[in-house]
Amino acid sequence: MSVLTYKEAVAKSMRDALKNNSNTIIYGLGVTDHIGIFGTTLGLAEDFGKERVFDTPLAEESMTGFGLGAALNNIYPIHIHIRTDFMLLAMNQLVNSIAKYEYMYGGLFKIPMLIRTIIGRSWGQGAQHSQSLQAIFAHIPGLTVVMPSSSSSVLSTYQYAIKYYKAPVISLEHRILYNCSFKVNSNNHLSKENLFTSFLVRKGKDVTIVATSVMVVDAINASDFVKENGNIDAEIIDLHCISHPNVDLILKSVKKTGRLIVADTGWAAYGVCADICRIISTNAPHILKLPAIQLSMAPSPCPTAKTLENFFYPNTEDIINAIYKLTKGNKYGLSKFSDKKLPKHHYDNFRGPF
Amino acid sequence: MVEEKICEIYPTDKIQSPVHLSLGQEHHIAALVLQLQKKDQVFTTYRSHAVYLAKGGNLNKLFAELYGKSGGISKGKAGSMHLSAPEVGLMGSSAIVASPFSHALGAAYALKLIKSNHISVSITGDGSTEEGVFHECLNFAALKQLPVLFVIENNGLAVNSPIALRQAFNLGKLVRAYDIKYLRENNGMNILSISQKSKKLLNEIRRNKIPAVFEIRTYRYREHVGINEDFDKGYRNKSEFEMWHRRDPLLLRKDLVKRFKDKIAKEIISAVSYAEKSPVPNCNDLLKDIK
Repeated sequence: MSVLTYKEAVAKSMRDALKNNSNTIIYGLGVTDHIGIFGTTLGLAEDFGKERVFDTPLAEESMTGFGLGAALNNIYPIHIHIRTDFMLLAMNQLVNSIAKYEYMYGGLFKIPMLIRTIIGRSWGQGAQHSQSLQAIFAHIPGLTVVMPSSSSSVLSTYQYAIKYYKAPVISLEHRILYNCSFKVNSNNHLSKENLFTSFLVRKGKDVTIVATSVMVVDAINASDFVKENGNIDAEIIDLHCISHPNVDLILKSVKKTGRLIVADTGWAAYGVCADICRIISTNAPHILKLPAIQLSMAPSPCPTAKTLENFFYPNTEDIINAIYKLTKGNKYGLSKFSDKKLPKHHYDNFRGPF
Repeated sequence: MVEEKICEIYPTDKIQSPVHLSLGQEHHIAALVLQLQKKDQVFTTYRSHAVYLAKGGNLNKLFAELYGKSGGISKGKAGSMHLSAPEVGLMGSSAIVASPFSHALGAAYALKLIKSNHISVSITGDGSTEEGVFHECLNFAALKQLPVLFVIENNGLAVNSPIALRQAFNLGKLVRAYDIKYLRENNGMNILSISQKSKKLLNEIRRNKIPAVFEIRTYRYREHVGINEDFDKGYRNKSEFEMWHRRDPLLLRKDLVKRFKDKIAKEIISAVSYAEKSPVPNCNDLLKDIK
């Protein structure tokens, strides 16, 4: 067992991608500058050559289509966008070409590639540097969308994508996770088992939390709190693969607990919250004892002011209150525990600017 | 002749796919594409029947694809707009007009990276040069000195919109702003000239690993999509057509056409028969080739 920050795990994945596969290239805006995508691409151009690791012009449409052309020639492209918001400039290539190429040519072509992007949050990132667009990508058949929530998830998912998964993958990494530390297995053996699914993170009988990305960490912290203060056992599912969720796992859990919280980093409407509810209501609507609780961004663009930011985002306290509401009733909440030490708020530790 | 056969069959509704015919534009395609090597990669758009055949695509599979049958190039899932023939380097046809630019760009980068002698080519219409991504691709191709040829078939129309309503720029000047080699052929019917220019240009791209743009002026005989003539619609004059048609080598060299006509006719009949006999895809095929 060792300890690795999320950022270190991503950096290791990138280095291994170049070292273990001679056909991998990594490119994107800022990939070779001194920031190195927050430390995840530092030193790579020096060690593997500037033909394989390179910076690009501000040209998301062409650089995305570029990936398709390269992928058709047995090159594995890893395209990095330092903010998810910039991917909107790449949508034509992503949706009209990359997602559809294999299908519309009847399987004649495959487009194995990885697009990494980072969800910004906090320090006033604002409306255009904080979007969490997994729902938009996951809506499109042909795109595999994943949100690794821990260092080991990063290591195994990226290795699996590059080595075995012959299709386009979009991975949304959360900026707040970057400095979080996680225990990882020293044994880096990769099995061929499909990693584009959902995972049970914690077993429990009282309430199901389906969470994405950094909300998985928040859900764990919230669950620790309610176990200690109320003896409540929460079951946590890391949705992980937004586009190809493990439906059976979700249904089995909600059948057991009857209570559902969806904690997502994006907006609720037409998003992860919406799709989990769709899965329940079209398969087994009767398993819910109470209405599901949706924890998501407020239905507005993200404001820059810190005080407004705090209202905009769901956080650990919201998860705790949701757990209490579903298990103990409406009158129960965090206010009962004003004397208790609340779970560590890694959002507060983030200092910008970027 | 293939296009004419398609026109013949189309009213029977056996081909339920929009067809963008190459009639009037096949000449420069044949002249240029035949100068390419088998493993040179071509990316084009929906008006691709001529490109497909010139690159060496299978005729039987073409007709079966138009018929939406399982024996088609893409098991019926692509139709006329998305022809491909990877075995001879036709890597796709896009219905999004400017998409092939960046695909060819990426292919050229890969070919250069693996030190291949092959090159990539995109073939698109005049409208595609208005999209921002064209500028992006010129920039990157010049920056990295990539062995890519952007062929611009200029027939003066984007669907029904004339070029005068769309472009404030001169294509040659735009391309030269990036120090990229630019060539123009004003007579798309001049097969010999295009052949020679292509051969020389391709050699240079291959040898020196440089990008280039080749603009070819041409004329679309029929409507944008479909099998009919549309001179009665008023946006263009039949006299234009007659000016181009007069120079059409298929008209001027009837002797050469006569030499091959019967053999081709037999191949087409055989292909149509293959298409007719090919099975239709069933519902199990719907969710294949998608993750």
